[in-house]
Amino acid sequence: MVRLDIKGMSTRDVNRKLRELILQDDEIVVENPHSVHNFATALKGKGTVTVEGSTGFYTGGFLQGPTAIIKGNTGWYTGDNMDAGELIVEMNTGSNCGPSMAGGTILVRGHSGSRAGWGMKGGNLIICGNAGLWSGKMTLGGRIIILGTVGRGIGESMYRGIIHVLDPEVEDKLGGNVRVVPIDDKEKKEVETLFKKYGIEQAVDGFRSIVPKVYGRHEYFLFKPTHQQTGAQS
Amino acid sequence: MTEKERKPRAKDVQRGVWNPETVAEVKYKAEMGKHRIRGCGSTKKYPTFDDLLILPSQLSRLSIDTYREDCKTQTVLGARYAKKPLVVETPILISGMSYGALSKEAKTAMARSTQIVGTSINNGEGGLLPGESENSYKQVVQITPSRMGFSLRNIEAADALELITGIGAKPGLAGHLMGNKITKEIAEFRQLPEGIDLHSHPRHGDIFGADDMVLKVEELRDVTDYEIPIFVKIAAGRVREDVKIAVKTGVDGIVIDGAEAGTGAAPVVASTHLGIPILPGLVQGVRALEEMGVKDEVSLIVSGGIKDGADVAKALALGADAVAIGTGAMIAMGCVVCLRCHEGNCAYGIGTQDPERRKRLDIDAAAKRVANYIQGMTYEAVILAKAAGKTALANMEREDLRSLTLEACAMTGVPLVGTNFTFTEPFGFF
Repeated sequence: MVRLDIKGMSTRDVNRKLRELILQDDEIVVENPHSVHNFATALKGKGTVTVEGSTGFYTGGFLQGPTAIIKGNTGWYTGDNMDAGELIVEMNTGSNCGPSMAGGTILVRGHSGSRAGWGMKGGNLIICGNAGLWSGKMTLGGRIIILGTVGRGIGESMYRGIIHVLDPEVEDKLGGNVRVVPIDDKEKKEVETLFKKYGIEQAVDGFRSIVPKVYGRHEYFLFKPTHQQTGAQS
Repeated sequence: MTEKERKPRAKDVQRGVWNPETVAEVKYKAEMGKHRIRGCGSTKKYPTFDDLLILPSQLSRLSIDTYREDCKTQTVLGARYAKKPLVVETPILISGMSYGALSKEAKTAMARSTQIVGTSINNGEGGLLPGESENSYKQVVQITPSRMGFSLRNIEAADALELITGIGAKPGLAGHLMGNKITKEIAEFRQLPEGIDLHSHPRHGDIFGADDMVLKVEELRDVTDYEIPIFVKIAAGRVREDVKIAVKTGVDGIVIDGAEAGTGAAPVVASTHLGIPILPGLVQGVRALEEMGVKDEVSLIVSGGIKDGADVAKALALGADAVAIGTGAMIAMGCVVCLRCHEGNCAYGIGTQDPERRKRLDIDAAAKRVANYIQGMTYEAVILAKAAGKTALANMEREDLRSLTLEACAMTGVPLVGTNFTFTEPFGFF
């Protein structure tokens, strides 16, 4: 294990040093992160980077394989465009967690802000707490699991992918072009495997899934007269 | 006078508001209950670079021999912070057009044309087609809000990145790719269900505001090891303000896309009524850079309706460093601007994914035609620049221009022909 104190270092130097160290050691512990932005950008390799504190925006962007454990909070856009590896946030994330992520796993042990998994293309995004509005908007793939309550507009215009939720009131918060279906046995096993791996004590039976409503044309409402629902665009 | 002479036929009466196009639009909405989608962008008549004239050198300055003396065309873009700026042999780039809107053959042909003339191609939305990056001289990779087909591997193949916030054909909206073009292959490439109508994100999921874009640009610098240029593309609207914000985000260059710009599909109302043309857009962009004192530092690229070498020479004279073409390159390959790209049945194998129609486009022949077009445009620009006494295209300056119309004069601040007269803020050396 190697310890790296990044107090006073520029983001560029932090990431350069991380890239250098991860080739030499399997375990890096980062001290004094002071909510640094753009932490561990495009980090490659297979080691583990543990941050003793919080990081800022764009934590683990373009992550390519390692495991990053953030013992505090992270800012907006955590794990943006991530391809592989694990990003484990022990507390909460800001909004837009995992935007356009294509692979790997993001685990948020606390809550996440709005628009988690925006445009997600693959991988897993697990939020143990609550998620804000528009989670999973326009996903192209991947799996989002939300254990807490969800905000309105969840799954808006998903093209592909799946969102597993426990929130009993999810039907009232659905976005357009998605529907709620029971979780199937295969999905249950996959979710159970993830929970086991990350030590999440939650039964999977209560989950339901949000999936794209149609594999054809999405329906939009650009005009919503309040006295009746008309004006559908497809 | 006969009854027929006294009462002209309805079709012979000059129409104002209720012309055939308007009537057709009303009927379309009455039948469909929605807006019309169409290809090719706006058909509106905008002020153009043709409303400006170039002053030839005579006694007040000497002209350069058209056929026997050199005029430098090589152009360096994005040298503000990038270690390896984009160096192209002509200031005419090929703009972002997606694989999906265009066929694989069309994209490959355009990429090959860049090898012939030494310029760049931009992949557009929807991923980087291997046939494009393998054949391109310089590859610009667009970072679109949808990030379809986008990955670190795309960035690694790029000679420059273009972070797109808007396009001139439908500013404020994003990509529309109709289901008839989402074939199995395109669906796999973009991770979409086959046959679905795609309406992309207009906002980046990882950039919710200009301050965040500062960090995003830093992130991209880190990802690219500070080597390649990063441009931001904006649709022409509030250009002065947007350019100043873009400069502050730390990019190397700014692409301004005018309302004349083409597209594979857009709501007609958006193409027709959103955004401003490139002529005033460019002037505002130059003014913004000059007000910030970074005109020589930040590259300025303009696109939207660029059609010939005269447009290139005039755009450079007004302060652009390069131009980008889209529709012109398609026309060079055979496109007839039928406005039906969104239907996916392009008879020339360009704006289609139909295997039989795609066969009609001979890639090598099309590549040669696009290269010829860019070469011909460059020749034209060189002829004008030399006649204006320049030994480099980049030396074109606004003092070489005069406005032919009051409208162009008011819009650009370039003096009216035969006078030193300008409306509002002058934009010459007067």
